[in-house]
Amino acid sequence: MGTLRRLRGPNNEGVLVAVILVLVVVMSLASDAFFTPNTFFGLVRSSLVPLVFALGVLMVLISGGIDVSFPAIAIFAAYTTVSWSGQASFDPTLVGAFVVAIVIGAALGFVNGAVIARFRLPTLIVTLGTQGIIRGILLAYIGSAYIASSKMPPSVAQAGDAYLLDIPGAGYLHGMMVPVVVVTVLVWWMLKYTTFGRSIYAIGGDIEAARRVGIKVVRTQIMLYSLVGGLAAFGGMISVILGKNANPQTLVGTELDIIAAVVLGGASIFGGRGSVLGTVLGVILVQLINNNLVLIGIPSTWQRAAVGILLIVGVGVQALVALRSRPQPVLLDEEVSRA
Amino acid sequence: MSDSGSKSLTKANRSLDDGVSGLISRIQLPHGAGRMIVLLVGIFAIFSILNPRVFLNPVNLENIGVGAPEIGLIALAMMLTMLTGGIDLSIVAIANFSAITVSSLYTAVSVAQGQAAAEGLTIVFLLAGIGVGALLGLVNGVLISVVGVTPILTTLGTMQLFNGLALVWTGGVTISGAPSALSGIGTATLASIPVLFVILILAAALLALVIDRTPVGRKIQLQGANPIAARYSGISSRKTLMLTYGLSGVLGGVAGLVFLARNPSASADYGSSYVLLAIVIAVLGGTNPNGGVATVFGVILATLTLQVVSSGFTAMRLSAYEYSIAQGVLLIAVMIVDQLTFRRRRRRALPLSSETVAVQTQKAHEEKTR
Repeated sequence: MGTLRRLRGPNNEGVLVAVILVLVVVMSLASDAFFTPNTFFGLVRSSLVPLVFALGVLMVLISGGIDVSFPAIAIFAAYTTVSWSGQASFDPTLVGAFVVAIVIGAALGFVNGAVIARFRLPTLIVTLGTQGIIRGILLAYIGSAYIASSKMPPSVAQAGDAYLLDIPGAGYLHGMMVPVVVVTVLVWWMLKYTTFGRSIYAIGGDIEAARRVGIKVVRTQIMLYSLVGGLAAFGGMISVILGKNANPQTLVGTELDIIAAVVLGGASIFGGRGSVLGTVLGVILVQLINNNLVLIGIPSTWQRAAVGILLIVGVGVQALVALRSRPQPVLLDEEVSRA
Repeated sequence: MSDSGSKSLTKANRSLDDGVSGLISRIQLPHGAGRMIVLLVGIFAIFSILNPRVFLNPVNLENIGVGAPEIGLIALAMMLTMLTGGIDLSIVAIANFSAITVSSLYTAVSVAQGQAAAEGLTIVFLLAGIGVGALLGLVNGVLISVVGVTPILTTLGTMQLFNGLALVWTGGVTISGAPSALSGIGTATLASIPVLFVILILAAALLALVIDRTPVGRKIQLQGANPIAARYSGISSRKTLMLTYGLSGVLGGVAGLVFLARNPSASADYGSSYVLLAIVIAVLGGTNPNGGVATVFGVILATLTLQVVSSGFTAMRLSAYEYSIAQGVLLIAVMIVDQLTFRRRRRRALPLSSETVAVQTQKAHEEKTR
């Protein structure tokens, strides 16, 4: 029993691994085309951008908030960077482009954080508002035209063809995997071992308790949203590089799907709970379904429904377990805790 | 001017001020509604002055009336669920499902038995659309009240599911076809008021009646204001929540019919921006996202305000993107002003005793662990 519980993990990571393994086995049995490097590389490639966004969403969820503005921040930062350097015929180099985008993203995230922390407004409502504002400014004043890779700075355009591993006839492993893995490890380390990371958990667990033990809630929240803005911008740049174009109309509209993946990964929507491992597994599970459902004979139109069913079953089982483990005389229990 | 003259002027001024403020305070308007009336009238006036020729054109005013109902109905559903402290992210998916149901049924019958037969069954189709909405709403209700999943997670999941099933049904393409009577309603006017708008007002009036004048409405309000007190009072939260989400589904179903009435085609991804827009409207209309406070009137006013801003921006030749900026600024500004007045009012009242703080923390904690 103890081993079983340990295998399950603190946020049901074990269950996710099991579900993924079952899917992999079923898909391998159903189709010879599944267990190939091609499928694996495709899975990695399609997981990169959602994973970066999911890490940002995870941090906000842990802190007890919900952010729906990150796709707007991502495309705003990436598009602005590419468009400006394209107009000025200036190549900031790949690293330079990432830095510019991340600074823009962090600045936008700072606005989110400042409004949320200063006025103590509901995070969903604030980020809904800033999503509209950021997207509006991008499309109305910065540009609404699609930028092809030929109009992008050469270093950014070339990064789209930088492969880590290129197996002829079996696809390739994209080079952008390296920075994404590094960032994932960094976020994991930060959440687990830094004071800042633990403060985020504390705020999400109980904001009043966090304040009383001396955590500077306002400052932590502002730092968190700036960081998440920077992370979103990083994801935006990756998506521009992978897609080999900058389209200001993309990304916005995917926010709820990303949140769903993070929730599937075991993060609590009420804060205080969630792990990087679970999030990675959640994203991989969703992408596995999106990419390969066809292989087991289910038409691709079922993708969304399948993710929906998985999400409902996941949260439903959790809720039922919680319901059963609750002590029976509910009212008495509450009276005691209140007295 | 003499000293006494200015004094009497000041006095007259003050008595006038007192009279006006007394009058204003006597008009017992719910918080959100009062604010929205001022905003709506102000914004309407601004656009009328800036570009009267285009903005006050009857065609433009009619467009406001035709454009408001679909998002208005969705925002009403959102408000209803927020009143109980929940949220319904699946509402647009429900509306699309209803539209797809009606369109598919109509097309199927007209292929099998001819168009005349299909037209004759219009009422049945419309009821089927609303029924599907109610059914999907009840699915949400079961998951929330019986299984015990929190509303935001439930509807996040069912949004994907309903939308996914709609994709499966339509194969991801836009299907066309709708009863001609429905399209007729879409263009008809009643005393130069679009019939669709009349439908919105009727639905709103009915909903207001249910919320404010029936025992069920009281239960819904109490459930959101204080779920524990509601339970102590012997209110079955299960029944209340089932009803709330079922009703929300019905409103979504009607919104789906309005989609079809405006445009005789249906698709799984119509109005994907409406989910978040509906939350914006509900909050602008004075709905407290934590439950307990919401007014139908405020939501209708907020719907109209955003429609007026939208068409005003068009009249001023501003783009949809600038409208999106305005929408965001409006939302955050209203929230900040709200928060500041709330804090000032609280500071003016008695300083918080440690007991109330403890109770508040307790409540927040319970909400979190719920």
